[in-house]
Amino acid sequence: MNESVKEAVEVKKGNKLPFESNIAEKWVLVIDDMEGMRSQLRMSLTSAGFAKLHVVSSIKDALERMATSRYDVILCDYSLGEGTDGQQFLEYLRTNDLITRNTIFVMITAEQGYEKVVAASECAPDDYLLKPFTAAQFSARLEKLLERQEYFSTIDKATDSKNWGRVIIECDKQLAVKDKYFIDLCKIKSSALMRANRPQEAANLYSEILALRPIGWARLGLARAWAQLDKKDQAKALLQDILKETPQFMAAYDFLGKLLAASGDKHGALDILQKAREVSPGTMSRIRELSTLAVSAGKPEIAETVMRQALQKHKYSPVRHANDYAVLSKALVNQGKATEALVVVADAQKSFKDEHSSIVLAATESVAHRAAGNHAQADAALAKAMSMGDLSKLPANTVISLADACFISGREEDATKLLRHAIQNNHEDEAIKDKVHEVLTSAGKHASEATALIDESTKEVIQLNNEGVLKAEAGQLEEAITLLCQAADRLSNNVQIVGNASLVLALDLVRNGNSPVKLGRCLHYRDELIKKSPNHPKIAQIDSLLKQLKH
Amino acid sequence: MNDLYAAVVHDVKNQLAELSLRLGERGDAQKEVEIAMSAARRLSEMLLVLRHENNLLSVNADSVNAGDFMAELAAEYREMFPGLTIEINDEKAPDLAFFDEALVRMALANAIHNACRSARSKVKLAVTEQNKMLVLEVADDGHGYPDSMIGKKITTPLPVSGRGTGLGLYLAAKIAALHHLKDQQGCIELSNAEGAVFRMILP
Repeated sequence: MNESVKEAVEVKKGNKLPFESNIAEKWVLVIDDMEGMRSQLRMSLTSAGFAKLHVVSSIKDALERMATSRYDVILCDYSLGEGTDGQQFLEYLRTNDLITRNTIFVMITAEQGYEKVVAASECAPDDYLLKPFTAAQFSARLEKLLERQEYFSTIDKATDSKNWGRVIIECDKQLAVKDKYFIDLCKIKSSALMRANRPQEAANLYSEILALRPIGWARLGLARAWAQLDKKDQAKALLQDILKETPQFMAAYDFLGKLLAASGDKHGALDILQKAREVSPGTMSRIRELSTLAVSAGKPEIAETVMRQALQKHKYSPVRHANDYAVLSKALVNQGKATEALVVVADAQKSFKDEHSSIVLAATESVAHRAAGNHAQADAALAKAMSMGDLSKLPANTVISLADACFISGREEDATKLLRHAIQNNHEDEAIKDKVHEVLTSAGKHASEATALIDESTKEVIQLNNEGVLKAEAGQLEEAITLLCQAADRLSNNVQIVGNASLVLALDLVRNGNSPVKLGRCLHYRDELIKKSPNHPKIAQIDSLLKQLKH
Repeated sequence: MNDLYAAVVHDVKNQLAELSLRLGERGDAQKEVEIAMSAARRLSEMLLVLRHENNLLSVNADSVNAGDFMAELAAEYREMFPGLTIEINDEKAPDLAFFDEALVRMALANAIHNACRSARSKVKLAVTEQNKMLVLEVADDGHGYPDSMIGKKITTPLPVSGRGTGLGLYLAAKIAALHHLKDQQGCIELSNAEGAVFRMILP
């Protein structure tokens, strides 16, 4: 980093930012389940000059509105009655990219809920408004946020398109100005460095911030950077420290749990996530992590309690997945409660009808039927699961669940085929490999056998890729194209293969002249690559070849 | 106090806040707004003191622009006390300040509220730096604190005549003390100049 953070402390202000808020043009969405608060907020917004507002009472209505309108500001009450709360809603919006980074999300809280919200800083709102507040306070705060929104609009756009290199460049530009957003810019830049896989630079920046002040997010950031730099023990120790001092720092529990689980200490991870749950029941992602971990650590009763509670709470909420029911069903089957598992699956099938969910649930149903001794029904459900959907487009987790069901039904060959596919489609993803390993060992394979299958599948895909590249280098472009394109169509999630398919097509276009068909395919694979990995170094290589075409 | 009582206090607080906002909409009831809002705030403070006593209150310090922070508080109290002049001096404010915005806002709001009630015509808010500590100051031109309060360390809620139950000052002292950096700890200081001067000093 060029600008030292230390230096910035001595920065002189007077850099008043040019800002004109265009309040009447901003679209605002208000979500509050209390009629009184809704009318208060409506009045406050109108008197502050906002003219375009929608006021709704539930998350369901909010999502309907959001499907058709773009909002600049979302004001959401933290407590929305019995079901999903504001924090869980925000997590849902962010993980599904339903709002842009530039959308202002303000959480309205009473101080009792306040700490829960702050602590969940993993997915923090842009601001909190603590009840009670006056109309003047409200508009002063919104004005400040709109000023900030305008200031960050370029950076936020780059963040939305996951162009981390651009985010870093834009942050550096603004950091040089040394204005009042200096620390915010450092925060955005350091997390972009992490996303761009530059953990050493991120660690340096976090350390510089920490030299100023032990801010919670910077400590957590440093732990993440260390973990990435293979200093896992240092990262764990730092996280333990953070939790000793601030036991309500939920994101630190989540990350520590992840680190412990990744190093094979499933029980340690489970303990940490259980502790987190005592502090705050938490978001669906923690519940998922915890219950999946509990099932694989041989504690299905914990998974059952946690997932049942969560699904009950979010009964009518969009934050649930079909997979959550699958985990609960598995937890039940593992405790010998197959009949209950069947009820859970039937319940889920009522609300999840899309293709992926149907496959996951049919596979889950098959496992539960098998455990209940209904073999004919188990076979039928599995046959149904296997007949739906195009394997190359299914998410790895769905493929792995299918394989699990195949093993249980004795369809070992199918199961192995599915697992090979899951690995080859994600051959650099360690978490997927761990899951495959688990399915194999729980199907009675020896650990060494499981590892062998995983290694062999990985080797195969690497060989395939190398063969394509070698052929291309040897000038056998047509053969390279056939090989890599076939592989790319089969393994559409494998960015190495898809990227090389696009690259070798581009090379052919440069060498052998333009062909609209080949250009079309080249661009198709390039788009797939960008979608899956926007910062992949191959994109630049492909583009520089394509540029030569124009001249 | 058990959870049920806390929940009731919480509800009453929200109702008072709603009442205050509704009165505010009428535009002719500033005094009533102020009374209802101050009652709601008092209950908020009580809930916070309770959390503190149960060791549930902790500080989440992050960077705050102290000038903007004061401006927002000033806007709020200008609305509630339209007869008063509320000035801000942030010329000597440090560029980067770190504190728990929500907690310090609550403490300062109480101090400003009391200053507005005691002031004859003017309340001055200032942000400065002193021995590398951040100083947030609220000064009025009223009668000032009684001599017995000056330079005293606040360890229990002490009623200040004409200035309420003392709960606000007690909470402010606790909030300041929760801010620490290495061996430095935050505190509050009371003194008299033109009127009462409240200072929150944070590391």
